[in-house]
Amino acid sequence: MLIADCGSTWTKILDTGSGKLEIIKTRDMVKRRDLHFDVATGHSAKGRCAVFRNELIALAEGALALVPDPDFSVVDVGGRDVKFVRFRDRRVDKLDWNLSCGSSTGATMELLGNYYEIDFRTLPPSADWINVTCGVFGMEKVLEQVSTGTPAEESIAMFLHGIVRNVYDFAGRPETLHLSGGFCENGCFLKTFAGYCDIKPLGRAVPLEGLKAK
Amino acid sequence: MIPEGDGRIIGYYGYPRRSLLAGARAAFGAELPLVDLDIDYGAPDAGLLPKATCSIITNIMNNAVWLSGRLAVVVAAVGEDKCDGGRNIAWLLKGMGFNVVESRFTGGGAGRPLVWSTSAGPLAERIDRIMETVVEPEPRGAAAQGPGTSGAPRRETGAIAAPPRCEPTHGFWGVPPNDFSILGLFPPTTHIYGWTRCVEAGRPDDLDLETFVDPGVPTVFFTQSFCAKQNLAHYLAERHGGLEVDCHREINDSIMAKVEAFIKLS
Repeated sequence: MLIADCGSTWTKILDTGSGKLEIIKTRDMVKRRDLHFDVATGHSAKGRCAVFRNELIALAEGALALVPDPDFSVVDVGGRDVKFVRFRDRRVDKLDWNLSCGSSTGATMELLGNYYEIDFRTLPPSADWINVTCGVFGMEKVLEQVSTGTPAEESIAMFLHGIVRNVYDFAGRPETLHLSGGFCENGCFLKTFAGYCDIKPLGRAVPLEGLKAK
Repeated sequence: MIPEGDGRIIGYYGYPRRSLLAGARAAFGAELPLVDLDIDYGAPDAGLLPKATCSIITNIMNNAVWLSGRLAVVVAAVGEDKCDGGRNIAWLLKGMGFNVVESRFTGGGAGRPLVWSTSAGPLAERIDRIMETVVEPEPRGAAAQGPGTSGAPRRETGAIAAPPRCEPTHGFWGVPPNDFSILGLFPPTTHIYGWTRCVEAGRPDDLDLETFVDPGVPTVFFTQSFCAKQNLAHYLAERHGGLEVDCHREINDSIMAKVEAFIKLS
């Protein structure tokens, strides 16, 4: 069975038979007319799958499959939005999906990183932050920092710190937070988040686990 | 709906006092249709308000400009029962030469029984029924049983029998949305809270009633973007473990998915 999480910028495809996980750019996925999934979730999955699943439900069920704790919170920081689910006794206690203020922060981070050739695995965290009202306003702040003499690396670390603060507040400032999505591979993001709470990366395939769970 | 043709009409917005609506008809013609200017009828953008303006307020301005040749008068809710946006728009319309009558609720009033807020049925249809009560004193189907949640006794009116009260499985809090498509996601056992309930209760300025929700009922707190009620929605969603949703103009797929997940998982 072929299942997929078709995000705005990255698509994660899992062949449940072989266990092979493929991660490709969504811009490439949408060009491949041969790709059709048995079950899929994500903004770009509609029309490309036999069964479509709601992204927040896939995240919640994937987190339950991966985390054994009775009470925990999980947040998925994606390219264009942020999703959050909190469990009590393994039942959903609160959920939210930030579509506006979290809008495009992940994608903007990637754009800025590519433009300034930043290696997020080695980028040092910044103790300072800039307000990231949304991706566009955040980018404007980064460009302002750079134009006034702050090194690009430091400016982007400040942008990233701003995203961390937004996500931490969005999740209700928990002591421990499980993280889903591409930011699990961003060392600077993880180190910055560790200044606020115990952050536990679950990887990029959490929604896929949710699709497998059903 | 807007009657076809070029006949005169009376526009209103919010929940103006019925005595003022009756006065407008007495002054300009008892047969003149009443048109709710809050609703998006597809009027062209007048371009007179900032883009970051509540869609309902934008609708009022666009409709007024679009229908300016037909509007005999605009009966405008400008008090605590509406919002500063409603008050400011009335001032703007007067300055543009519209004939405006201002309406303010100042508390009190006998109130009316809750029927559609607490019964079962399609949510959009029940909200429509409630908003009809702004100009039709008796909600269709107001002959119900027992006291209403508003505290006012239910009345026997001889109207069409109301659907019975149901136990709420979910809640919808807020004003009637600019885009009703979101309402189709809710199960029929959804109770209506917030300003829409206040309208049915005949107390559009009652902040205590507006901020009431039944504890333990998974509730979506909906506002238009750039509306001051977002403050209430944010606080109430946190307090009651509900879902805060705001939307500017049309509902998009992401907002639909968010509400769908909340309803299924809660």
